[in-house]
Amino acid sequence: MRATGGTSHSNKLYWTTWWVLLALTVLMLVIDSMVMPRSIFVSVLLTAMLVKASLIGAHFMHLRFERRSLALMVIVGLLINGAILFGLIVPDAIRIRMMVP
Amino acid sequence: LVFELIGDSRFPKARVEGLMTVAAQLMPDRWSGGVCPFAAGWRKVMMWVFIVTDGLLFAGFLGGYGYARTMSSQWPDQSAVFDLRYIAVMTFVLISSSLTMANAVGAAQNRQRRLGFRWLLLTIAGGVGFLGMQAYEWAHLIEVGARLDGNPWGDPLFGSFFFLLTGFHGTHVLVGVIVLATTAFRWGKGLASAAGVELAGLYWHFVDLVWVFLFTLFYLV
Repeated sequence: MRATGGTSHSNKLYWTTWWVLLALTVLMLVIDSMVMPRSIFVSVLLTAMLVKASLIGAHFMHLRFERRSLALMVIVGLLINGAILFGLIVPDAIRIRMMVP
Repeated sequence: LVFELIGDSRFPKARVEGLMTVAAQLMPDRWSGGVCPFAAGWRKVMMWVFIVTDGLLFAGFLGGYGYARTMSSQWPDQSAVFDLRYIAVMTFVLISSSLTMANAVGAAQNRQRRLGFRWLLLTIAGGVGFLGMQAYEWAHLIEVGARLDGNPWGDPLFGSFFFLLTGFHGTHVLVGVIVLATTAFRWGKGLASAAGVELAGLYWHFVDLVWVFLFTLFYLV
């Protein structure tokens, strides 16, 4: 099933995606109200965030049905540049934080 | 043949794009460039390029936010500042508007003009609702002392990043509502193509996608 040729995708897929997004949002709020170690809290929330972003990109934005070269251009471009930004900036912030008495 | 048809204004654009897709599939090596390496029209490819660059802009903002947040020893507890149930409702509205937008694109591709128009109107309503809720949130926080250069809860940068991130995202939502209203009007009059509705949809889903990151990184983590 490809979007390129003007073929539409089933409404069922969109509704299923919406329900999963909704469930993940509720799950994130429940986790936010629970007491747990910070590292687990952050890991779970970041995982849920990435799953939600992937679902929107794959199903609502049809990346799953596009040619792989287009999907790779988008995903790899964003991931590499995002990783460079965070990889260079955040460790520096941690270092400065440790320098402050 | 395809190149000749692209230059012929009498030939429908949708047919040309269909031919380009077929030509691209016949190419022996899809990485060698060729007629249509992404098997998509140039407008869709350019929209994706825009989305990637705009996404990097938000990544830059979030990188700066991460820097300030990690460095700060007085970052406020978000649950003490925001009513997270209210923010969850905002999230629900935006996610739902993405669903209606996806349905609008589906209806447009199936040439269901009236149904597509209705889904577009629902999406616009979701966008306007989200903007109204954000305006209320801003008004409330300003009323209790949040400013660009300070706030009553702790690190002054908290207010700066709140207004920067949500303000920039809100501007994107506003632009999206304008784009959707224009698209709906043109679609209703029979002036817009299904591809045009799909492009508006890509932008709208991107706005939703950015909110997923803001909601998690700024309001929850």
